[in-house]
Amino acid sequence: MKRIEVRLSLPVVRPLLDVIKGLVDDLHSAPAARVGSPDPDAEFSDVWTRDLVAAQSSDVEMLLSIFGEDFHTDGIVFFDQTNAEAIARSCSAVRLRVREKYLKDLSDESLEAGEVDLAKLDEGVRKAFTCYLFLATIQELIIQHLDESIIGF
Amino acid sequence: MSSTAGKSNPFSQPQPESEVQLDTVWRVVVLNDPVNLMSYVVLVFMKVFGFDEVKARKHMLEVHEQGRSVLWIGAREPGEAYVFTLQQWHLTAILEADEAH
Repeated sequence: MKRIEVRLSLPVVRPLLDVIKGLVDDLHSAPAARVGSPDPDAEFSDVWTRDLVAAQSSDVEMLLSIFGEDFHTDGIVFFDQTNAEAIARSCSAVRLRVREKYLKDLSDESLEAGEVDLAKLDEGVRKAFTCYLFLATIQELIIQHLDESIIGF
Repeated sequence: MSSTAGKSNPFSQPQPESEVQLDTVWRVVVLNDPVNLMSYVVLVFMKVFGFDEVKARKHMLEVHEQGRSVLWIGAREPGEAYVFTLQQWHLTAILEADEAH
């Protein structure tokens, strides 16, 4: 089974996990992309939302699982067939929430272009933005290094 | 679609409203968002619709540059399934009636 291992800097990444953990309750209760069901029927919408949240919760737990005891020992995380898709999805979910909760004062254009002056951000926003970039890096790693046999097109 | 054929056919009966609803063609549309990475959106389109990379990238660029792209056209039920799957991947996906049909 193809597997990639990445050694991360513990002093850099540990504080970012606080941002993710601070959003977990929210991610266990509502879909990250607030779009809604295509059917106005209340019962249909409830089932739709419940199923989305269940899948999202499972993905977020998978993301948190790579930052377990082993990570705190040696800083290594791994991606393979068993977790790559769920982690890619959960990175997206957390990024959407980080954007909504912490980065709302930044314009879409500056975020898309990555043109954000870190020095002008206060400490909490800077940490959230760093987490936002970190999760994008994880997504890019998964997309670039795991081929179609892993991602399963 | 079926309403045009009905008008030209003198033996056809007017369709009950429920049948008209069933005959409606639906579009799965993905809207732009400033958060998801381009490479991620391409991956999702390849995975969900089985597109090759060129086609997936074309749709991703439509979303990015025009704000939306129609990914699929067809009956309501499979359209809902596609929208659900796209929302599971956290894309802003909606289902809309295709007025042209």
